[in-house]
Amino acid sequence: MAKQYDIIIRLLMVGDSGVGKTCMLCRFADDDISSTHVSTIGIDFKIKTLTIDGKKIRIQIWDTAGQERYETITKQYYRRAQGIVLVYDMKNEESFKNIQKWMKYISDFAPEDVELILVANKSDAYNSERKVSKEHGEMFAKEHRIPFYETSAYMDMNINEAFIMLARIVMKRHKKEIDKQMEHIRLFCREDSDAHIIEKQGKDNNGCCVLM
Amino acid sequence: MSAPGLNNDSKKNKRTFWKRNTEKVPGSIKPVYGAKHPPTEAVIQASLANTDQSKNRNKRPDSFADFDHSTSDAWDDAEDDLMLMGTRKLSIEETIESNNDELHNIANENSTNFQGAKSKNIDVPMSSSHHKAFQPPSSPVPSPNVGSMGGPGVGIRQTAVIEAPKPVTAIRIPNIPVPDRELSKLHKFGQILSGPITDLDELRKLSWSGIPKPVRPSAWKILLGYLPTNIDRRTLTLERKRSEYFSFIDQYFDTRHETIHRDTYRQIHIDIPRTNPLMPLFHQPKVHQIFERILYIWSIRHPASGYVQGMNDLVTPFFVVFLSEYVDDSGENLDIYDVNKLSDDILKCIEADSFWCMTKLLDGIQDNYTFAQPGIQLKVNALRELVQRIDGPLHSHLEKHNVEYLQFSFRWMNNLIMREIPLKCTIRLWDTYMSEGDGFANFHLYVCASLLVHWSDKIRRNRDFHSILLFLQNLPTKDWDNEQIGVLVAEAYRWKFMFADAPNHLNLIKK
Repeated sequence: MAKQYDIIIRLLMVGDSGVGKTCMLCRFADDDISSTHVSTIGIDFKIKTLTIDGKKIRIQIWDTAGQERYETITKQYYRRAQGIVLVYDMKNEESFKNIQKWMKYISDFAPEDVELILVANKSDAYNSERKVSKEHGEMFAKEHRIPFYETSAYMDMNINEAFIMLARIVMKRHKKEIDKQMEHIRLFCREDSDAHIIEKQGKDNNGCCVLM
Repeated sequence: MSAPGLNNDSKKNKRTFWKRNTEKVPGSIKPVYGAKHPPTEAVIQASLANTDQSKNRNKRPDSFADFDHSTSDAWDDAEDDLMLMGTRKLSIEETIESNNDELHNIANENSTNFQGAKSKNIDVPMSSSHHKAFQPPSSPVPSPNVGSMGGPGVGIRQTAVIEAPKPVTAIRIPNIPVPDRELSKLHKFGQILSGPITDLDELRKLSWSGIPKPVRPSAWKILLGYLPTNIDRRTLTLERKRSEYFSFIDQYFDTRHETIHRDTYRQIHIDIPRTNPLMPLFHQPKVHQIFERILYIWSIRHPASGYVQGMNDLVTPFFVVFLSEYVDDSGENLDIYDVNKLSDDILKCIEADSFWCMTKLLDGIQDNYTFAQPGIQLKVNALRELVQRIDGPLHSHLEKHNVEYLQFSFRWMNNLIMREIPLKCTIRLWDTYMSEGDGFANFHLYVCASLLVHWSDKIRRNRDFHSILLFLQNLPTKDWDNEQIGVLVAEAYRWKFMFADAPNHLNLIKK
């Protein structure tokens, strides 16, 4: 098995039910949304491998069910997230209001240094359907000093940009560990070596060169 | 459980017992498949078939299959997903011959007692549909042809592609003498269901290995306790329950826009279009409305759990099965059936029956859906314990790669593996669940273990967290059929049999 990636980062998606979290993720990871019209039960998982700044990054993304009943389960996944995508539906004001609730969960359960972005999905909506203005979203994001994107999973607008932005700020936040990791790889792993050589580093981190 | 243990001694005794009785003895003990009468030998055969079917076909002359063959009268009691797996050989000639006899018998029987019984217990006009139900199936494989596009989970299954329904007929005819067994089984169901009082134990035994499609609607209703076993009370019960359901709708359905119920209704409303998206049957305005009413009424009558995502999936098997009661599907594909062809009265019956049967099902697993979903958490833990015992290497492999059972089996519990297998397989699986005392709660756990262990080799070939989890979330089951479910439940039965009463095992569940 040739080495497939240098670094893993862990992202989490949260937001109300039906705002399009799974569609965004399928668009990003599989470039496909045609087959995804099922509700997420509990928690789902996808990966995407990208090259950012010459480093092979495997992005591990946990997709959560939005319904309140699943919160006991989904809250368990905040603890190990390095980046969180907060999603609302611009056609649904309630889902925007609930961003406050999701922020609260993040401050309660996620690590302090977690990076966030705010995403207003369904930008393919007609103007008449829009319930949350771009300014409102931007204002909220500015207040919390987090990047903001309006996306459309359906039209494939801004999806990659949003995920890559989050990946970048997570990488920036963990620059020191990454540099150390890359140095380790340079010294100890040949170009075609097994990823599992560096898997030994710790059981607590999914067996890869995960940023802690 | 009264059944003998599976340790070596008793197994040996059992073998010896079989051998001593290799000749047909009229009135001898009749082993039957069923929850309380474990098909021990057959289960073992089935598990062998699971690991190596070809080996099984050439097995020793003193094997169970030969015993079975020589005592076909005794084993006629049960059918046989188990037997479909190659433990029984019948020549084509035999099949045709016995078929002709059966056809003759059934034709006679049906024209008299069963036909009468049926028309007695359903109170809507049914003209052709029931008539057809008891004509010998024209298709040699009368397994339900629904859901060939896959279950609700296929939407996120990587390997899933939309396909035209597979031709379920022709190809298999020469090899598998299904019509014989199916007809004989159908005949037995006919007798049980049309007797003055249906013997529930008998019905369970017979249903455990799969219910023939034409009698499934009635059998499910009785097994779930929706219809009484007393045939004279069925018509009245149905009338009463159906009108009760519609009085709930009159009473409650308008509350859906009230503030306290708005969230529930909204959740249901956005989930219904996401129910089994690949099957056009579920995506007609009338069907959406039916599902909305069923789920909404159930939710507000069960405030402890309310509607939880995934319950929408649980309605689909009932809807399809009860729809099949009124549709002559020899010429119809239920996957794409247009419900506008049915009268509103019939649709109402299907709706009310689906509601009550779903209610019965959920009664048994409500702690899966109450706050913090304790039922699921217990079962996920129990699954871990169980797999640790039955497949140590697999368990260690999962542990080694930090795969947690919750990460993949939460959905298995929440949606009763409906997202993991095609809908027609779910329907077959539910035949067994309904025959087990608390199948949806307890037996399901063993089925989950069986499902996981089934893929043991493949899982262990994946050597990192990501590939293991991706595999487990997208099990390659899209071509699964009743046959695989037969193997799955037989294996599950074996685990239940071995572990359920072991004192140190599964304490979690019993708590």
